[in-house]
Amino acid sequence: MLILLPILVPLLTAIVLVGCWTRPSVQRIIALGSSCVQLAVAALLLHQTSTGRIVTIAIGAWPPPFGIVLVADILSALMITVTGVVSVAVMVYSMSGIDANREAHGYYPLLSTLLTGVNGAFLTADIFNLYVWFELLLISSFVLTALGGGKGQLEGAVKYVTLNLIASVVFLTATGVLYGIAGTLSMGDLAARIPAIQHREILGMVAVLYLVAFGIKAAMFPLYMWLPASYHTLPAPVGALFSGLLTKVGVYAFYRMFTLVFPAMDFGMTTLILVISGFTMLVGVLGAAVQYEFRRLLSFHIVSQIGYLLFALGVGTPLALAGGIFYTIHNIIAKANLYLIAGVAARLGGSYDIRKLGGLFSAAPWLGILFLVPALSLAGVPPLSGFWAKLAVIRAGLEREHYLLGAVALITSLLTLFSMSKVWSEVFWKQRDSNPETDADPAQRPIAYQVAPIALLAAITLTLGLFAEPLFALVSDAARQLLDPSAYVDAVLRRAP
Amino acid sequence: MISPFSIILSGFLFAAAAPLLQRFTRDRAHVILALYPLLTLLLLINEYGLVVDGPVIRESLSWVPSLGIGLSFALDGLAYFFALIITTIGLLVLLYASAYFKGDQRLPRFYLLFMSFMASMLGLVLADTLITLFVFWELTGVSSYFLIGFNNQRAAARAGALQALLVTGLGGLALLAGFIMLGNIAGSYDLPRIMESSAIIQQSPLYPAILFLLLLGAFTKSAQVPFHFWLPNAMEAPTPVSAYLHSATMVKAGIYLLARLSPALGGTELWHYALSIPGAITMLLGAFLAFGQTDLKRLLAYSTISALGTLTLLLGLYTDDAVKAALIFLFVHSLYKGALFMIAGSVDHESGTRDIRALGGLYLQMPATAAAAVLAALSMAGLPPLLGFISKELLYEAKLQAPVAAPFVTAAGVCANALIVALAAKFVLMTFFGQAHSTPKQPHEAPILMRIGPALLAGFGLIAGLLPDQLASRLIEGAVQAVRPEIAPVHFSLWHGFTDVLILSTLTVGAGIALFRWGGWLLVRGERMRVLASLGPARAYDSLLRGTLRLANALTDAIQDGTLRHYLLLALIFLCVLLGAAAAPLLRHGTLPAMSGIPFHEAATAVLIALGAVTVASSKSRFTAITALGVVGFGVSLIFLFYGAPDLALTQFSIETLSIVLFVLVLPRLPKLLDTSSLSTRIRDALLSSLLGLLVALLVLLGADAHAPSHLQEFFGEYSVPFAHGRNVVNVILVDFRSLDTIGEITVLLVSALGVYALMRSWPGERQ
Amino acid sequence: MHILLALVTGILFAGGLYLMLRRSIVKLAFGLALIAQAANLAIFTSSGLVRGEPPIIEAGGMRLAAVSSDPVPQALILTAIVIGFALLAFVIVLIKRAAWIVGTDDLDDLRNVDRTAT
Repeated sequence: MLILLPILVPLLTAIVLVGCWTRPSVQRIIALGSSCVQLAVAALLLHQTSTGRIVTIAIGAWPPPFGIVLVADILSALMITVTGVVSVAVMVYSMSGIDANREAHGYYPLLSTLLTGVNGAFLTADIFNLYVWFELLLISSFVLTALGGGKGQLEGAVKYVTLNLIASVVFLTATGVLYGIAGTLSMGDLAARIPAIQHREILGMVAVLYLVAFGIKAAMFPLYMWLPASYHTLPAPVGALFSGLLTKVGVYAFYRMFTLVFPAMDFGMTTLILVISGFTMLVGVLGAAVQYEFRRLLSFHIVSQIGYLLFALGVGTPLALAGGIFYTIHNIIAKANLYLIAGVAARLGGSYDIRKLGGLFSAAPWLGILFLVPALSLAGVPPLSGFWAKLAVIRAGLEREHYLLGAVALITSLLTLFSMSKVWSEVFWKQRDSNPETDADPAQRPIAYQVAPIALLAAITLTLGLFAEPLFALVSDAARQLLDPSAYVDAVLRRAP
Repeated sequence: MISPFSIILSGFLFAAAAPLLQRFTRDRAHVILALYPLLTLLLLINEYGLVVDGPVIRESLSWVPSLGIGLSFALDGLAYFFALIITTIGLLVLLYASAYFKGDQRLPRFYLLFMSFMASMLGLVLADTLITLFVFWELTGVSSYFLIGFNNQRAAARAGALQALLVTGLGGLALLAGFIMLGNIAGSYDLPRIMESSAIIQQSPLYPAILFLLLLGAFTKSAQVPFHFWLPNAMEAPTPVSAYLHSATMVKAGIYLLARLSPALGGTELWHYALSIPGAITMLLGAFLAFGQTDLKRLLAYSTISALGTLTLLLGLYTDDAVKAALIFLFVHSLYKGALFMIAGSVDHESGTRDIRALGGLYLQMPATAAAAVLAALSMAGLPPLLGFISKELLYEAKLQAPVAAPFVTAAGVCANALIVALAAKFVLMTFFGQAHSTPKQPHEAPILMRIGPALLAGFGLIAGLLPDQLASRLIEGAVQAVRPEIAPVHFSLWHGFTDVLILSTLTVGAGIALFRWGGWLLVRGERMRVLASLGPARAYDSLLRGTLRLANALTDAIQDGTLRHYLLLALIFLCVLLGAAAAPLLRHGTLPAMSGIPFHEAATAVLIALGAVTVASSKSRFTAITALGVVGFGVSLIFLFYGAPDLALTQFSIETLSIVLFVLVLPRLPKLLDTSSLSTRIRDALLSSLLGLLVALLVLLGADAHAPSHLQEFFGEYSVPFAHGRNVVNVILVDFRSLDTIGEITVLLVSALGVYALMRSWPGERQ
Repeated sequence: MHILLALVTGILFAGGLYLMLRRSIVKLAFGLALIAQAANLAIFTSSGLVRGEPPIIEAGGMRLAAVSSDPVPQALILTAIVIGFALLAFVIVLIKRAAWIVGTDDLDDLRNVDRTAT
């Protein structure tokens, strides 16, 4: 039953929130409370799965593979947990970091449906059900993107919506064809049946379709352009949630599908994924190097780091996947935090343009320190969480003699350091030319709500860096589960192992 | 027993507490903070006998065992030697800085960074695994970034900080790659294991690559040509920072690394050349470039580069004598260079300028500082009876006995040392003696805390020179043993008798004085080369950075050009290529099924749909397009009807109707459907779309051919009535077997309605 | 028959994608509508076509006739149709709104915030 709650809680919350449509202050509290419950549930689930146990529930008690089964292995439970963390942070931040107009038009219900979709995608073991959750998180994110309706925002929304709908259609087509030849939708059942199917070429084409569908959602090269076109038009907490979670749902789908259903090796995808990963790392980080819009700069870094995650998947060893999962978790926390920090910097300095900002180190030294933690972590500076992620992935790559990609990854890391120091230098060190257009909105709520989640996320980044072992041991187990999916398959199909 | 981990940890705790301390002690935090290096120093001295003679003190904590990484430390002779330098000079510079920054609001921040750096540096030399070493290596780099940019209002300080960060950052990443590869070969990151694996490492085909990567790390950190340029630019840092980081500690980290890893990697021919040649060039070029400087700090920075080159050269020679000479020279250099940097800072602080042309005769106003300067300069010049003399004698001895190219190495050494003698003379004589100039501030003696440091460091150079065997030999011996365990006991003495080394020394001093007196000639003659050498690599850095940014700009502009259809185009080409590649093997041996036995009404419907699609795609009239869209939708619902899906047909029919109503309602006032793209663009798009359509058609066709009845169908057919009480199996599936899909679907519908509502409401969005 | 339907699917895809590659924002919506249809047809075609035997258990029967359409793809398509409509409805309103706010229906003009600043 526990495993159903990450979907049920936000869904019910959304209904309740719609019920108190006219009272944003009540919505805030309920949304925050619901996120806390989700986090607690997720933590419990993580605790249950951490021993290697795979928790399942068959919806409606229909025996698999006929009904839909929800499954939590370590990877799923970890993703749910980190979703909970980010959502709590975003809810607290939204207490004073989101405008009344958005709050009055369904901001909190939409966040809740978004979380329903995200959690559903992480938990389901049914490929069509995955499609449904994808659509739910998409439509929620579409509305959140368009909500507020500024010019830039709508322009971004059109691009975001178009490319992601293409991904949906491709996903749907692939799933239809896959059902036609494999006769099943359960991912466990698929994993069990696919090795015996003769039509390898057709399966290869289907795998390509999935690669493209997930590739658009994960924002990999050359399918990523919707992301830097839209994410910088979002208000900081929405941007934090999107940048932390949405592309990572795509990455999760990559990791799940290309280990379980279409093992990358069997389908000759390894080289393709590796080549893509190299380009993704480079175009992302080079794009970031020339940005001056704080959020847009961060958006390009999202792309770049997706490259790292694909690199890990392409290498495909236990260490690589462990590093990849560690990287994902580190990245969600750090990237969401940087978006929130951009929001606070804009509140204090009146702009998202880092050239216009400045002098924040003397005005708000605490923000400077809070910025440095995720920023340096993103650049992989030890002993922060990003260092271990980078170390594991690159080491796995070098062990498999991917020297060129290893070099690309390291150069990417150097350019990330460059970007982060550029932000630091412009926003914090430099004197600003003019006084900020004082944003003294009397209705503005206390800044503490915005700083608290930033501090929380920074503390997590620091802890994951200094005490990396517990998480690393966990992700190592998760990687082993991914590479030997028999336990997952058995759990889905309710077979005794 | 001494615990390295506790020492390092408490260093960071002191650092974290520094800002608070500064507030609570009313600007006297340095008294408490100084306890840290002082106590550490005392602890180290207390362990003197044990470390120098006894077994290595090791400490190992578990850190990330899943990655095979521990947090391990070792205190052997080499670590001890460096730790002594770090704490001693750290203590003196800390006290110096407290007076230098007196009354400065930014002192808490300075203490925080300074103490963090000190702890990181200690961690670096005490580390016993490659990864631990790397962690602290990077931490020194990061804290150095903030210290160089300490005067953050100045653009030059920010640029200098960034340059140091990027150059050493590049090296750091190379180092990481090298460490990982070393670890892969040795099967462990633990330094003792690496040392044991020396033979395997040196025979590995990866050895040259590893060596290259490690040298990149060491050379960038220790400012070897062509990476030396960041160090002079780092002189933007406040002088106490330079006195600590850029003379005695951080820039020596690369040297430390080379010494530390030399038992595993050293002694090969490749090692020999890869170190000696850059080392010799750096030694000469640094001294030569220093000679032309007029800024006291930049002069010292370039002479430091020269000294670092000397050290690299000696480690490249890698004989017993060379290692011994390297370590004693490193010791001497730290003493005099730390002192001279502090003195330069005092001069600047008290007179308001560091320009050597504007200074002179300061010995009258600053007698104590001048005395320390003279002693330090004598040591730098290598004159007896200072420790610098002993070091230089050993240096020459090592060079004379170099395994290859000894004459060349010796000659280079003499040239560089002569320049250094001239530099020492220039520094002292032009600053403290000769004609006094009027300076921006009326000069007077520096405060006591700013005199202690230079005096002690310079004084120790003298005392140790007089009593070398008592004060330095065992220390050096312990350090050398960590690098070359079989070395004979080390003995130093001031007087070696009349040897060829003494002749070289005399020659050096003579040439140095001559250079100082008549060196202008050399400078003028060498001007062009000087400019080239001092600006060449810096220019290369600039153009590399600018080139990267220009490339990034062009690339980003090309891909992210703001046009949705280009994004789509790229995505579709990608899809097309991949799908085509996946389909290619099928095309070779596939046969198409015959198109026969199709009833007329089905064929007609299919044609209708196809015509509808083509009409939508080509129509210029919105009305026609919407009508054609409707035809397509209704055609599809007919297909559903023909093939046993009445529910689908019905749903499709009603949804299609709704869509058309929506299109007609929402889109009436938009302009005509003009296609403004050129014919070639349209042909390109049409070709691409058709190709993709064809590939999808192929996939569907093959899929349909390969279709096998599903066991799901069987199950649902069997269970619908008895267990789910429904006869319409599709409905049963939706509301029962796959109810979760339906819940999701309804939610999607509701969210969409919410979105439509939010968008339709007249939003205060400005129209432009 | 499935070859004909496969071709129709392909044509729908091609037409839809071609429309999406145009500059008119309205054509973008038309294109999306077409490819959504195409996907549904792809599922329908590739999972076995059976003429005129709906998956409905006759009154009194306990199980589905041996020859009948597979109910699963039908259920999937039904879900997909509804989801597709939800998305399409939103897209129609969105492009309307975007065209109005930005003041153009030319997609190439939607790049006020999507250029690299230099």
